[in-house]
Amino acid sequence: MSENAEFSPRIAAFLCNWCSYGAADLAGVSRLQYPPNIQVIRIPCTGRMSPKFILAAFRKGVDGVWVSG
Amino acid sequence: MEAIAQKIREAAKRLLSEGKVDVVIGYAKGTVPMREYPYFAYTPEEAENLTWSSFCCNNLALYTIRRPGRMAVVAQGCVSRNLVNLINENQFKRDDLYVIGVNSPGMVDRRKVQALFPGKTITEVIEEPEHLLVKGQGFEERLERKKVFRSNCLTCVQRNPVISDEMIGEVGPEGHGGNIDKVAAPWEKLVPAERWTEMQETLKDCIRCYACRDACPLCYCHVCFVDEAQPQWCGKTQDEADVATFHILRAFHCAGRCTDCGACESACPQGIKMRRLTSKIEKDIRALYGYRPGMEIGAQPPMSLFKPNDPQDFIK
Amino acid sequence: MFARRRFAVLKNLLEYVGIEPGRLHFSWISSAEAEKFQKTVAAVTEDVKALGPAQHMIKDIRKVA
Ligand code: SF4
Ligand code: SF4
Ligand code: SF4
Repeated sequence: MSENAEFSPRIAAFLCNWCSYGAADLAGVSRLQYPPNIQVIRIPCTGRMSPKFILAAFRKGVDGVWVSG
Repeated sequence: MEAIAQKIREAAKRLLSEGKVDVVIGYAKGTVPMREYPYFAYTPEEAENLTWSSFCCNNLALYTIRRPGRMAVVAQGCVSRNLVNLINENQFKRDDLYVIGVNSPGMVDRRKVQALFPGKTITEVIEEPEHLLVKGQGFEERLERKKVFRSNCLTCVQRNPVISDEMIGEVGPEGHGGNIDKVAAPWEKLVPAERWTEMQETLKDCIRCYACRDACPLCYCHVCFVDEAQPQWCGKTQDEADVATFHILRAFHCAGRCTDCGACESACPQGIKMRRLTSKIEKDIRALYGYRPGMEIGAQPPMSLFKPNDPQDFIK
Repeated sequence: MFARRRFAVLKNLLEYVGIEPGRLHFSWISSAEAEKFQKTVAAVTEDVKALGPAQHMIKDIRKVA
């Protein structure tokens, strides 16, 4: 990344299969525009979410984590 | 102290010779001063070795885990709370446990004592009610016990055992006057970057020996996350990211269970204050869900429970 | 809902050790709320952008002996 290029964060998005993942799907078919910075990880339910995943994501170098149920 | 030790020995001998329990778990005198260690008495003769002093810093609840048969445990406030935790977590039945309860006099941090005599070898420590008589070659000094307490004992709220089948000595006062909420306060005033530096400063000497985990009666997982290789949650190095991951996750696993017994800090060979993290969680659990771990048999652990009106302002 | 308690405690702990509040986000979005999804992605990205690249918890292989 060059010095003056705008900082483009990488965000790990943990989305619940039944809620936010569906919303993402709907946003897609509805052609809603949203920033391309999120990298989606589908989880079967927000209850599957473990603090380990959040720390693991940070350790792998993401700039932010978003968990959505 | 000696009077209490004597009564513990008598109780242990009686329980073992009557065949009421298979083992009495207590403390024995260390080979060097200030290093009392966990002791398992299987016979009335072995019960002679049991002791009680200001340096009973291990948490004996740890040794009840996966131990077959009936056991008696010498328990002060925090140990009894951890025993209650273990019963609530279905590790053993109340009936298999015999609690020899003792009011905790407050345990002493051997590092604080040693720090007062730099470069000198302490050869003997004699217990007096409110003082310790510390002796070595060419010196002798009387210390006030309270001045050299472990920090968790200063902020203790439960010195008497919460469960006991037999009480040794008197039921004493609770607490030593310290405020547990203040333990987390010094960091809460700082901005994020400073907090991170503070944490690094606190943990920087950690050698990842896991003595803190092994001394903790909450850490009885068959495979701890630090030992998992696939996926590897936590690297094996002393890099700050690895050390921080270990301490953050371990503290989190203690959420709603830690009784602030201080066994982790006492076990650490590097003198690391990892209770900075666990006390913060203890405080949050109390503030958010009004729960203190291990106070009552049958209480639902806060992290396996929810209420419709739990705080959720942090969720969008 | 168990997750809610877990997240509350974890978020407090991470903030306590110095992970900036804006780096970690939680939300409830139902599968019908595509617009909320769009807005939340934008808001989360904005917050993280404002904080700049993450500095902590990253293992710098050059520093590891
Ligand atoms: S640190 Fe966590 S995973 Fe490891 S033994 Fe303790 S509770 Fe279990
Ligand atoms: S984390 Fe430390 S203070 Fe808490 S129960 Fe375990 S050994 Fe005791
Ligand atoms: S006992 Fe001390 S040095 Fe060992 S892993 Fe725990 S904090 Fe680190």
